Amino acid sequence: MATVVEAVAPARSHRTRMRITATMTGVVGALLAVIAGSLFDVRPPDAYGLCMACHARDLVNWTVNAAAGTRLTVAPASLVFPVLTPVGVLLGALLAARTSGEFRWQRPEHPLKTFLYGVAVMNCALLAGGCSIRLLLRTAAGEPLGVIGFGALAAGVILATQWLRWRAAR
Amino acid sequence: MTAAVATLVAGVVLGYLGQRSRMCFVGGIRDFMLIRDGYLLRGLLAFGLTAWLAFPLLAAIGGAGVGPFGLPDALTAILTMCGAFGVGYVSTLANGCPFRQHVLAAQGVVSSGTYVAGFFAGAVIFHMWAAPLLLRVLP
Repeated sequence: MATVVEAVAPARSHRTRMRITATMTGVVGALLAVIAGSLFDVRPPDAYGLCMACHARDLVNWTVNAAAGTRLTVAPASLVFPVLTPVGVLLGALLAARTSGEFRWQRPEHPLKTFLYGVAVMNCALLAGGCSIRLLLRTAAGEPLGVIGFGALAAGVILATQWLRWRAAR
Repeated sequence: MTAAVATLVAGVVLGYLGQRSRMCFVGGIRDFMLIRDGYLLRGLLAFGLTAWLAFPLLAAIGGAGVGPFGLPDALTAILTMCGAFGVGYVSTLANGCPFRQHVLAAQGVVSSGTYVAGFFAGAVIFHMWAAPLLLRVLP
């Protein structure tokens, strides 16, 4: 019995230690985004395969329209049925957290502040025509507006990081 | 319906990978500036580079291509810059991009859950109040 456990244990620990890096996630994410747009009708608009903001907007607005009879904007890709990226990401991350034992409830420190951050980011993203992912996707597609947007996004991150650094040093 | 199924599947795969890898699309620049850590930045660059190669490759094998893109007018460019700057700035203060916040919410971080609730509410707020107001104010 001991021999069996010793024989199996290294293989299992090797399997659980299989590390998924950010680079792998970036490559797979980009492939999925481009394939979804090019082959699975997640368009128009162009380079629409993956966006947390636009897809969440489509999902929420489509649902509100269906429930309340409003006419809030949804992208042409979501006219018949909304794209479900936010639901998929939540389910996938929940699955990963559960299987790795990393799921645990953590109390919010400033719930109102984080709620307002969410409102602000969504409004800014819809003004820009995409979240950080889609701005990068539009840049990769060669869209000049995407390049402008991604440059401004990087500037925002740099300035906010400087602000955080300055505040920490005070 | 094809788009819904495709994005659901892509979302599940990305959510899984994102949770395992801690991927964040603004964290790469932030971490590199703060502690010279290029782990997340490599993910960001890998995403951009792969998409840049995949767009023409898929178009060449029969997929739908993108573009051609014209130059934007000045007002659209300015609005895009303002919006994108806000996304970068506020996401950094919120400690992660929208994708990372969804992943954290799914692993039980209630702060990120409230962020996602605000994110969803923000869509309705934008289309009911913010966009009409902008249209009224702008030339």
